[in-house]
Amino acid sequence: MSVGFIGAGQLAFALARGFTAAGVLAAHKITASSPDTDLPTVSGLRKMGVNFTVSNKDTVKSSDVLFLAVKPPIIPFILEEVGPDIEARHIVVSCAAGVTISSIEKKLSTFCPTPKVIRCMTNTPVIVREGATVYATGTHADVEDGKLLEQLMASVGFCTEVEEDLIDAVTGLSGSGPAYAFTALDALADGGVKMGLPRRLAVRLGAQALLGAAKMLLESEQHPGQLKDNVCSPGGATIHALHFLESGGFRSLLINAVEASCIRTRELQHLADQEKISLAAIKKTLLDKVKLESPSLSVASASKVSLFTSKSKKN
Amino acid sequence: MEAAELWVGFVGAGRMAGGLVRGLLQAGKVPASNVLASAPSDKNLDAWRELGCRTTHCNLEVVHRSTLVFLATKPHVLPGVLEEIRPAVGSHHIVVSLVAGVTIQTLQRLLPPSTKVLRIMPNLPCVVQAGAMVFSRGSNAGDAESALLQNLLSSCGLCEEVPESYIDIHTGLSGSGVAYVYLFAEALAEGAVKMGMPGALASRIAAQTLLGAAKMLLETGEHPAKLRGDVCTPGGTTIYALHQLEKGALRATVMDAVEAATNRACDMAKD
Repeated sequence: MSVGFIGAGQLAFALARGFTAAGVLAAHKITASSPDTDLPTVSGLRKMGVNFTVSNKDTVKSSDVLFLAVKPPIIPFILEEVGPDIEARHIVVSCAAGVTISSIEKKLSTFCPTPKVIRCMTNTPVIVREGATVYATGTHADVEDGKLLEQLMASVGFCTEVEEDLIDAVTGLSGSGPAYAFTALDALADGGVKMGLPRRLAVRLGAQALLGAAKMLLESEQHPGQLKDNVCSPGGATIHALHFLESGGFRSLLINAVEASCIRTRELQHLADQEKISLAAIKKTLLDKVKLESPSLSVASASKVSLFTSKSKKN
Repeated sequence: MEAAELWVGFVGAGRMAGGLVRGLLQAGKVPASNVLASAPSDKNLDAWRELGCRTTHCNLEVVHRSTLVFLATKPHVLPGVLEEIRPAVGSHHIVVSLVAGVTIQTLQRLLPPSTKVLRIMPNLPCVVQAGAMVFSRGSNAGDAESALLQNLLSSCGLCEEVPESYIDIHTGLSGSGVAYVYLFAEALAEGAVKMGMPGALASRIAAQTLLGAAKMLLETGEHPAKLRGDVCTPGGTTIYALHQLEKGALRATVMDAVEAATNRACDMAKD
């Protein structure tokens, strides 16, 4: 089985690294493409032994499972470009936040009657094989196609199937989640440094504490509240610290964060549907290159880009 | 000592003492005729007589005629009362103080050296036999006294022996804690009224909600966080509401309250 990545950024790199480290896929069975060869991840992919090309079409041709690993606003351009090369055998896996299966199927159906589409939301720790991935299968994707993806993604962490309407929430929680954790770890390390620890040690210990706690939770039947209680000796250090966290509204901040990320994801999809993505959201070099390869694409105005061709204009 | 042969006395006959005696009587632990209570005026004593208890205005009489003596006066009155009854207190007596803020050390200092002293902190719902009480023993009180007290008072609710240092914490958690619950119940009802429900109905439902939730906690033995999670349907009403509570830092505020009451209890005890 060969795997292709349209896009050669952080996500493609993380997945490629994870798959090869897990041994489910040899590097030479992976192809990644991007018009931008200056990305730092590009050299990383090359060093891994992944086939790198500037031609998205080449990636499609040499892949069975095709990951769309570009930013959400770029997806329509990509689909327009590679649509003609999509065959019935391809499994198109979109990792783009907020981009719905139906929008992808609609775009591809102008080229291929029954495109197999799977929508997936993963996260960067796939790079160390501790990713959190969910997926939802599209209209023409079979159970086996889903299982195939699940096998791939399970090699780099946790993977489970969900209903598509949950994916935005997953984005808010585990998609963005590592960023919340990095922020927390940075701050924890600051706390350690304030109380006298050298920075490197503080970072190491903070990370290990979170890693250990997460592992305990995953391996325990107990509720996190119970696990928290188990750490809190009466009148001890920990309960004093927790009181501070509560006073600062720690819990509500986290709830707010997950909610904000989820809502923003939906907002972006909504904006995309309404064809209101600004040009600034798309790098100019990318746009030029895409336009070169897809003459049928029209640019509606200087400030707005029509993300769909005149053929498939919305009513 | 058989509870039926027990002669129980109360020095002070206020609300707390009244709650305890009601519990004892309802559970049949002690016949009313074996109970003697003293108070300066008849104001409180009428209720006791109605229960079938004997009453007096003489504290010494209570001590002479009882084996188990509950001290239930206001804190500032107690030292005077102890001085008064001290001559009559013997080694056969079991003295149990309900007086807030008065330590076992103080009690033992003001009573004869061999006196069996225990200190208890009840809370208001003892009145309806759903109280939460903790007690500690002084140097001369042994397992027998502890067991007797536990046996008698479990008729009023939860009764546990603890180190004396927990008593002020119990005040902050449960003694005063009852008031926090009343506040919460009032606020719940107000929310409902705002949304259009009549006040009386809202209040009854609020109270029943608290009762039911507490009952589930006590009977299932599950962690409250787990029970909370069980109520939260994904994307449902409960989680939306909980988010509001977290935004208001309710947890921290409650912790602050328990801390404040506990600290105040400690400070008052030092006075």
